[in-house]
Amino acid sequence: MNGLNALPERPITILIAALGGEGGGVLADWIIGAATGQDYPVQSTSIPGVAQRTGATTYYIELYPARIAELGERRPVMTLTPAPGYVDVMVSSELLETGRALLNGFVTPERTTLVASTHRVYTTAEKMQMGDGRFDSERILKAAREMAKRAILFDMQQASAEAGTVISAVMFGALAGSATLPLPRAQCEDAIRKGGKGTEASLRGFALGYAAAERSSAASGDAKTGTTEGARGQPAAITSQTPLMAEQIRSNFPEQTHRIVGYGVDRTADFQDRPYADLYLDRLRPIVTRDREQGGAASDYKLTTETARFLALWMSYEDVIRVADLKSRRSRFERVRDEVQAKPDEPVHIVEYLKPGIEEAAALLPPGLSKVLLNWAEKRGLTYKLNVGMHIKSTSVTGFLILRLLALLRPLRRMTARYAQEQVLIERWLRAIAAARDPALALEIALCGRLIKGYGDTNRRAKTSMLRILDTLVEGSALPNETARANAIREAREAALEDPEGRQLESSLSTHGITPLPPKPKPIQFIRDAARNRRVA
Amino acid sequence: MEISFHEEIESLKLGDGEEFRGEGILAVTKALLQAGVSYVGGYQGAPVSHLLDVMVQAGEYLDELGVHVEACTNEASAAAMLGASINYPARGAVTWKSIVGTNVASDALSYLSTAGVVGGAMIIAGEDYGEGASVALERTHAFAMKSSIWLLDPRPNLTTIVDTVEKGFELSEASNSPVMVELRIRACHLQGSFVARDNLAPAVSTRHRLDGPPLFNYERLAHPPATFRQEKLKAEVRMPAARKFIRDNTLNEVFAGSESDLGIICQGGLYNSLQRALRMLGLADDFGNCRLPVLALNVVYPLIPEEISGFCSGKRAVLILEEGMPEFIEQEIATLLRRAAEQPALRDLGQTHLHGKDMLIQSGEYTTEVIVRGLARFLGEHAVHLDTSSGMRWIESNDAARARAAELLGAPLPARPPTFCVGCPERPVFAAMKLVKREIGEMHVAADIGCHAFATFEPFSQGNSILGYGMSLASAAGVAPMMSNRSMAIMGDGGFWHNGLLSGVASNLLNGGDAVLLIMKNGYTSATGTQEVISSPSEGEKAIARENSAVHTDKTIENTLRGAGVKWLRTVYTYRVAAMVKTLREAFTTQEPGLKVIVAEAECQLERQRRMRPILAKLLKSGERVLRTRFGVDDDTCTGDHSCIRLSGCPSLTVKPSADPLKVDPVAHVDNACVGCGLCGEVAHAAILCPSFYRVDIVQNPGAWDRFIDRVRGKVIGWLQPV
Repeated sequence: MNGLNALPERPITILIAALGGEGGGVLADWIIGAATGQDYPVQSTSIPGVAQRTGATTYYIELYPARIAELGERRPVMTLTPAPGYVDVMVSSELLETGRALLNGFVTPERTTLVASTHRVYTTAEKMQMGDGRFDSERILKAAREMAKRAILFDMQQASAEAGTVISAVMFGALAGSATLPLPRAQCEDAIRKGGKGTEASLRGFALGYAAAERSSAASGDAKTGTTEGARGQPAAITSQTPLMAEQIRSNFPEQTHRIVGYGVDRTADFQDRPYADLYLDRLRPIVTRDREQGGAASDYKLTTETARFLALWMSYEDVIRVADLKSRRSRFERVRDEVQAKPDEPVHIVEYLKPGIEEAAALLPPGLSKVLLNWAEKRGLTYKLNVGMHIKSTSVTGFLILRLLALLRPLRRMTARYAQEQVLIERWLRAIAAARDPALALEIALCGRLIKGYGDTNRRAKTSMLRILDTLVEGSALPNETARANAIREAREAALEDPEGRQLESSLSTHGITPLPPKPKPIQFIRDAARNRRVA
Repeated sequence: MEISFHEEIESLKLGDGEEFRGEGILAVTKALLQAGVSYVGGYQGAPVSHLLDVMVQAGEYLDELGVHVEACTNEASAAAMLGASINYPARGAVTWKSIVGTNVASDALSYLSTAGVVGGAMIIAGEDYGEGASVALERTHAFAMKSSIWLLDPRPNLTTIVDTVEKGFELSEASNSPVMVELRIRACHLQGSFVARDNLAPAVSTRHRLDGPPLFNYERLAHPPATFRQEKLKAEVRMPAARKFIRDNTLNEVFAGSESDLGIICQGGLYNSLQRALRMLGLADDFGNCRLPVLALNVVYPLIPEEISGFCSGKRAVLILEEGMPEFIEQEIATLLRRAAEQPALRDLGQTHLHGKDMLIQSGEYTTEVIVRGLARFLGEHAVHLDTSSGMRWIESNDAARARAAELLGAPLPARPPTFCVGCPERPVFAAMKLVKREIGEMHVAADIGCHAFATFEPFSQGNSILGYGMSLASAAGVAPMMSNRSMAIMGDGGFWHNGLLSGVASNLLNGGDAVLLIMKNGYTSATGTQEVISSPSEGEKAIARENSAVHTDKTIENTLRGAGVKWLRTVYTYRVAAMVKTLREAFTTQEPGLKVIVAEAECQLERQRRMRPILAKLLKSGERVLRTRFGVDDDTCTGDHSCIRLSGCPSLTVKPSADPLKVDPVAHVDNACVGCGLCGEVAHAAILCPSFYRVDIVQNPGAWDRFIDRVRGKVIGWLQPV
């Protein structure tokens, strides 16, 4: 207004979204330090509270880009709450939190430069789902690019790991490199130095962030340095062991399915032996035939691919032999070393947490004996009570030998009860797929293979869900036609992945008039009436 | 304590003319010293924890000044501490989180304000309201009104806040009444600056002691018959004295504006947002010059009738900005104006339109956007000649931006509530409870305030009620007798000492209750910043325990419970999930009558880590052998059903895309934040989950023997190992 023409149009506003413990407060302090060094009026606020404990939180900064010395007695009135549509720079340490900022209107095309990391820290709600509960990162990235005036997007977590520092240093560097603040690089680095602790690592992180932001600015207006977990691998060459087998795949299966079928052959051969891989291919043959007959080319033979995928996983079920084998391989030892970031000269001890019990033992016995053992245990209520908690040090000679000896039982696997049991269920599932007249229905049944996972109790419940769907929707007569059947199976499968107790599955089934199974009974306890022990009447 | 305030303590010593830079709540701390307080007390809680924390850590300097600091066990004891100012000319200040702290303190506050004070008595109330708030949302204002405590709500800049605190003491003494300064969350955490003044060593202090109490004077006691006179004093003497002081010192500020027939009255704390809102509407600049006159109430209770009528006189319409409900200020202004209009000279006040909650939202924070919307309505009705189109465009574009973002995202975003830290010793308890519930069914769970309240979030999603700090067991008293199975109450050691021992345990024992009480004995009030309680491990024991949990060395809780008459008492180390499951099962099924208490013991991981880090760094540097422990999940045996995550919820136990091209669902994964607490393995064992978990011990600075045995093992294993 009157006479203030020489002054900046408005304060510069910066909103920082971070998770508790990521150093958002330190970042705000650095910005304050750098701005104060330049004699700009600056103010920050935050709402840490309990969000300090890993929750989402924000920090808000206002900087008036005119030097205090030039302002005389006047001081800008700065607010404590960020306003949507009034944020100049949005800095975000995590992609989902960026999404939240978008949703709250803090990133707008007229004003906001978005400086955000593309990595994800998954929320509990996403992680705990039985299937894949992750929010689609691509959607957030797309929205971010559209909503921001300019978007500087890169994996700041990776950069901070490279620099050996916390993410806030990289965020500060990227903010400084975005050239949205009147704060020269040297001034920002000074602010870090004044902060004290871990200065060198912070400066390294700052430099990486700064360079990334500059790079993205150089790459013209639309700064798309963002990378996400990319699509899973290119179609790989067929990697099966024998030329004969590779030839078999090539001649019997359409090209679109070669990658998964190839992996499947590898997996089943690795799990048991070559004849087992042959069995795998034999089992797929009727499916691919059907797929071809029903014009599967239009859908890139999805039915064959998905059946091949889940069949391979199911056929290589995780029994004690398999687990012992996988855990005692050299590649696994190396992977662990790598994952825990052990230095070359540091010995690494791996201790396995195993708790086998009656079930696992019975699974290894021949079917007849297995039944005897299970019946005996059940009569005494010992089925789940005799599990022995074991800590096996697989990097010690003894521990390693135990695992190898178990793995050596592999040739005997075909004689085990678990083998017989799995094959029966596999065959039933495959028959149902092959019997489906409608291609959509066949695919839905095939996709039910996704339900089969886990160990012990989890695996038992998974199979219960699978059987329940086979019994009612696939083989039952509750639904009038194939399309309704396919839809019902899809809904039921999704419901089965909603909760481990299968309650959602039952409620999904009940919409088709199928009587829900009663919930598992809980024991009733009789407790003496406590009222008699009162000290006052 | 979680944070070290070394630098902040130095800034508390600044003298005349020096610039103080720092956080709002620390500026208040400095203001207290500038005002010459003799004693300070309080109970920790966001957003005011730092006030007390810094004072406790600045013990040496405060001792020089003669200031006594007390970390009280609850707000009631803090409020009662102000009783020192009833008889003695000593200034005192206490602090807590409001509304909850004020609730707990209210008994003592009634008596304090009834007796009246001779030394300035001040309460710094952290108004935990709006975004980031963690308590029931109510107004402190009601307490101020009912107890005749003057309520200050300064404009949110450090200079005004500091001045208000200093003036507040004078106000308290001038009117013989306690005063309360309410500071919103963001004001407490505001980083800014002000010009300091010298600290004042109090005249009455630990260094200048009094000879003894004054002559017996019944009037100092809030006890009948004195109370009847005191009630009169409040209305007839103290309130008028307060109003006179506020008026004489112009604690409330009027900002003139050219549109003199309109006006806005706001709580001081909302002033900055109001200015920004006016700027959005094109009616103000960045320096607080605005076209509408504003009355900023730095004192929101009591109001000064002449001030209100004077401001409103000659105005067609006035808008009141008052956050939270009910709208006490608006009601009081309406009454004042109605009364004033009865006087012939002020009859025109009857014509002034009064607006407030009719144009603004009833509840919730008054952010810039909320105020712009309210102002737009107000101006639309009373000032059509003003061009406010820029503000309207802004609001419309915000709505459009949010709608577009929602459309692009396509689905609601998952929430990210706070959760237990990595390695928290409380998480295993809830994993154990989940397992027990599978066996014996759901039971009523009375939750409480503290970190353990995070168990109400996923993946535990448990708890049927929260009734306040330390109230869990008491809140189950009416439920338990109606239930066919036993009820359970969860309490932290913070809650136990704050209130739970008396309200819960004593009451349950008196009434022969049959509930199960689980006490989290982690050694500190962790949620507020790991302040000490009386059962915190001593420094000596912590030094002996080194990186291990030290809380088992203190038996105050167990001894207290036994002394009170608890017969069934078990202490379980929390990380032993199987043992916890067994103990819980026993507690729920035993035929033994009476209260059953499980003390879940293990030191707060934050404190342990804080202690451990320097020790380990030193060892590593000096070349000593150090074992680093981490947990991991095998990619190729993990089937991606995530049942481990549903039982743990640890931030470092996460998911990642499977490296296996056949698997579609992500697999479990332990990231590098893992501190090796061992819960993953314990849960995998206790719940018989899966064989994918492994522990890794990495030998840092390996000795000759380590290297030798590692070589031997490598040779033998390498010889037999398949790829």
